[in-house]
Amino acid sequence: MNLMPDFNRFLAAVRHKETDRVPLGEILIDYSIQSQFLGRPVAADDLPGQVEFWSKAGYDFMPITVSMMSPGKVTEESGITRVLKEMVLREKPGTTDPKAWNLEFTSFIHERPDLDKFPWEAAADIDFSKLHAVKELLPEGMKVIAISGKIFTLTWMLMGFNNFALKLVLDESLVAEVFERVATIQFKALETIFGMDHVAGVWVVDDVAFGTGPMISPAALKKHVFSWYKKVGDRCHENSRIFLMHSDGDLSVLMDDLIAMGLDVIQPIDPSCMDMAKVKKQWGDRICLIGNVSNELLRSGSTPQIEARVKELLRDAAPGGGFALGSGNSVPNWAKYENYTAMRETCLKHGSYPISIR
Amino acid sequence: MADHLNTIKGAVIGGKHGEIKGLVQQALDAGLDPGGIVNDALIAAMDVVGKDFGDGKIFVPEMLVSAVTMKAGLEVVKPHLAGGESQSRGTIIMATVKGDLHDIGKNLVSMMLEGAGFKVMDLGVDLNVDKLIDQVKALQPDILGLSALLTTTMPEMQKVIGELKAQGLRDRVKVLVGGAPVDRAFAEKIGADGYGANATEAVELARRFAGAKA
Repeated sequence: MNLMPDFNRFLAAVRHKETDRVPLGEILIDYSIQSQFLGRPVAADDLPGQVEFWSKAGYDFMPITVSMMSPGKVTEESGITRVLKEMVLREKPGTTDPKAWNLEFTSFIHERPDLDKFPWEAAADIDFSKLHAVKELLPEGMKVIAISGKIFTLTWMLMGFNNFALKLVLDESLVAEVFERVATIQFKALETIFGMDHVAGVWVVDDVAFGTGPMISPAALKKHVFSWYKKVGDRCHENSRIFLMHSDGDLSVLMDDLIAMGLDVIQPIDPSCMDMAKVKKQWGDRICLIGNVSNELLRSGSTPQIEARVKELLRDAAPGGGFALGSGNSVPNWAKYENYTAMRETCLKHGSYPISIR
Repeated sequence: MADHLNTIKGAVIGGKHGEIKGLVQQALDAGLDPGGIVNDALIAAMDVVGKDFGDGKIFVPEMLVSAVTMKAGLEVVKPHLAGGESQSRGTIIMATVKGDLHDIGKNLVSMMLEGAGFKVMDLGVDLNVDKLIDQVKALQPDILGLSALLTTTMPEMQKVIGELKAQGLRDRVKVLVGGAPVDRAFAEKIGADGYGANATEAVELARRFAGAKA
């Protein structure tokens, strides 16, 4: 089995072509998993270690976050957290509770005057150092995909979800303006990203659905979110980059809109509410799919269960290309390491084209 | 009379929060029974909203605006209710369990329960077992609603139920669980009294529990 990174392998899958094997794809693999794989500690600041993991584990690209927020959760490391901390301490000196500047606990834009108080300029100061530094470390054939461009989640987190949802109906122009300011920052970052040859795509990590369906109406998503993402897609394609998106939840009623906005890849096809085989059948010829071994299975399942599930996915979604295998979200520290290994190894062992699993 | 009630109901369903206070006042001025306005217009409207949400006809923003509209209407009618009528259908503590910061789903359920006439005390997120038990003792709710979004925090629900048993409180409170990774089988396994897949189901269960108590 060829483990050498080859971004053309992944690119072929995106273009619905079969190559030597089904590629692997993740937006995030916890450092504890990377550490176990390499047999030595890999930390957030150990870029060579991260590159070594992604390349040795059989991935054709490594994801690197360059955005106003880290995917999934806001951490003390996030740029936006530093900006908000400065603002809170300026307004309320002596504040010690980190929740006061954590977007997961505190929102900052409630009414129109808050728009101008928010430090947009500072928030737009995005750190690209990791993306620059990785260039010299990448082995031949390997590329980077920049995790960037989140618009929906960042907007509602800035406003607080309840307030955002109410204002979407009661003061739509305010919401539209926050969307625009967030999008403007993300677009500026994109232009920097496009200047880097080793970055082959942009992966927007933005949950737009619950397990029961869209978080806001499809019409509102189309008007306020997908219109921006259509422009992201256009800019990606004008710059010969691929455009990927991650969203949890049931995207069924949104799939046609997601495809129409120029999305090349959707991940992870949330296994708690979507069926990969059905998605492949209905939309698989128009968009590449990455996923979707359930995280619950990675946490509590056995290795034979993981192997069986990977084989099902290879059988149902891999023929004809347009598929990369991965988790049903990301690989967190609470996934069993042996299950992560089983997922990866089963794909490498049984994912050679043509797929012969029946 | 029916016209007033239908107009109020329509205003709540349509989220006409700017008009609702005037409409409720007009109904009161016309001599309508305040209890009827609450039950047959305001709460009845939220039943429709909940069903539309459950059916995917409306989404969170529309549902929240209806809930806010309903509350505004309730404020106008409350001073006119007789003592017994102003009592809630029951008291509910809502909380996201320890280690979990997610609250969108919990907030929706809280909002819908309030819309259905329950008194809701939302304790927030990341609540450990001891804090929850203390609050159950202090507030003596009819129902304890627990939410979790993560598979890693779900076991906290079982710990809460275990501690309720250990402290002899289990028979005094119904435990309702929900959240993305939670399902009926898990709820049964940990000994919860009910599982709501969404806000509408949670309200239905709460009503059933309240009815059983009455």
